[in-house]
Amino acid sequence: MNPYGPSVTRLIDEFEALPGIGRKSAERLANYILTSSRNEALGLAEAIRAVKDAVRACGECHNLTEKPVCDICSDERRDHQVICVVEQPKDMNALEASGAFPGVYHVLQGRIAPLEGIGPEQLTIEALLRRIRQGGVRELVMATNPTLEGDGTALYISNLLANDPVRITRLARGIASGSVLEFANKEMLADALKGRQSF
Amino acid sequence: MSTEKTPALVIRQADFSNTSRVVTFMTREFGKVACVAKGAKRLKSPFDAALDLLTHCGIVFIHKTSGALDILTEASFVHRFKPYAGELNCLYAGYYIAELLDSLTEPHDPHYRLFDESVPLLTRLEETPNWRRVVLRFELLILEETGQLPSFDACALCGRLLEDSPPAATVFIRSGFICPTCLPDATAEDGVSRPVSAGTAHILRVFSEDSNTWQDLPVTSAQAKEVRALMNLLIAQTLGKRPRMHGYLRD
Repeated sequence: MNPYGPSVTRLIDEFEALPGIGRKSAERLANYILTSSRNEALGLAEAIRAVKDAVRACGECHNLTEKPVCDICSDERRDHQVICVVEQPKDMNALEASGAFPGVYHVLQGRIAPLEGIGPEQLTIEALLRRIRQGGVRELVMATNPTLEGDGTALYISNLLANDPVRITRLARGIASGSVLEFANKEMLADALKGRQSF
Repeated sequence: MSTEKTPALVIRQADFSNTSRVVTFMTREFGKVACVAKGAKRLKSPFDAALDLLTHCGIVFIHKTSGALDILTEASFVHRFKPYAGELNCLYAGYYIAELLDSLTEPHDPHYRLFDESVPLLTRLEETPNWRRVVLRFELLILEETGQLPSFDACALCGRLLEDSPPAATVFIRSGFICPTCLPDATAEDGVSRPVSAGTAHILRVFSEDSNTWQDLPVTSAQAKEVRALMNLLIAQTLGKRPRMHGYLRD
């Protein structure tokens, strides 16, 4: 027997479909909605509607934005000759928080993961190539995740651009600042040694 | 519940929650094992950098007898797979090995030889751009280990050794070679038939032998092409579908 009516059951089902939410949590959230005021509940519904209506991919970098071109791409003070390639908007936010990158970004919307059925055609690689081949790009910084699939995606893109006059670099990797050598794994140490710099 | 320790290769991973992942390992002692790795996505997780795809690692896990997912408690990094510099096919060949290990083996069914030979084959993909040779050796190895390798030495019907076979032979995808005398007796159960050259038949025999002769066996580009077409068909028939990586592995 269904203890709730069809509308409450639907709400629970919708909450349960969210990442990290199980049946119990979904029921708790539905109960919160039921006991909250009409304004509060409809405010949440309206916020979801607004975000789905207003947010789209930036026409330049494919970051999420409410404008045709995002604030970073339309900022004239940034170096548009240097593009940093990231997998997801959250990676771009992390790099932006560092305040160390003066260039612009390109969001791939994922990484090539053939075993999960994600191929290059499902990413924004074509748009990146068009952007570079329009001219004016001096350097491409590969900031995909330092995993086999992230590195594979960077390798795929760099192979496509092998004959284009653009410098391709990738983020340095190795020992984290503040850590100690004794506890770094051999992979980190090997990367750090390979990427050592002059004082 | 028991705590187990074994060398392992990461063959698949999927997000489980914001910080946890489900990681499938091909282990030496316990075969294919799927574990929940709680907190695996956190920067300071107890799993080091050991949970990346195709990483060779040592793991400790709690085996759940109830049929639920096992729980990963420790993972220590041994070697990270790094395909031959700039060679995408070597990367895709590594993915293909992971795909076949995942789809052709059963959970908790150990294959010691398969594990022991997979690790050096992955290492070869780091050292040489010749991925075709590694892939063929691995395909024949996993088919043999899972009991699905067709007969390449003797006629599958009469058992006569085929060393003195005519210059060209006919291979049946499910059974293997069938000698000219038995050819009229072959049925649909023996699978799709393919004529192959004597050179290709020799390559299949050598690559499926339990020795290192395959490493130096000369293979012409025409033979490599013929072998690849045959193996693609054989693997697709064994799996019941075309592997995802077949679409990526090409010159």
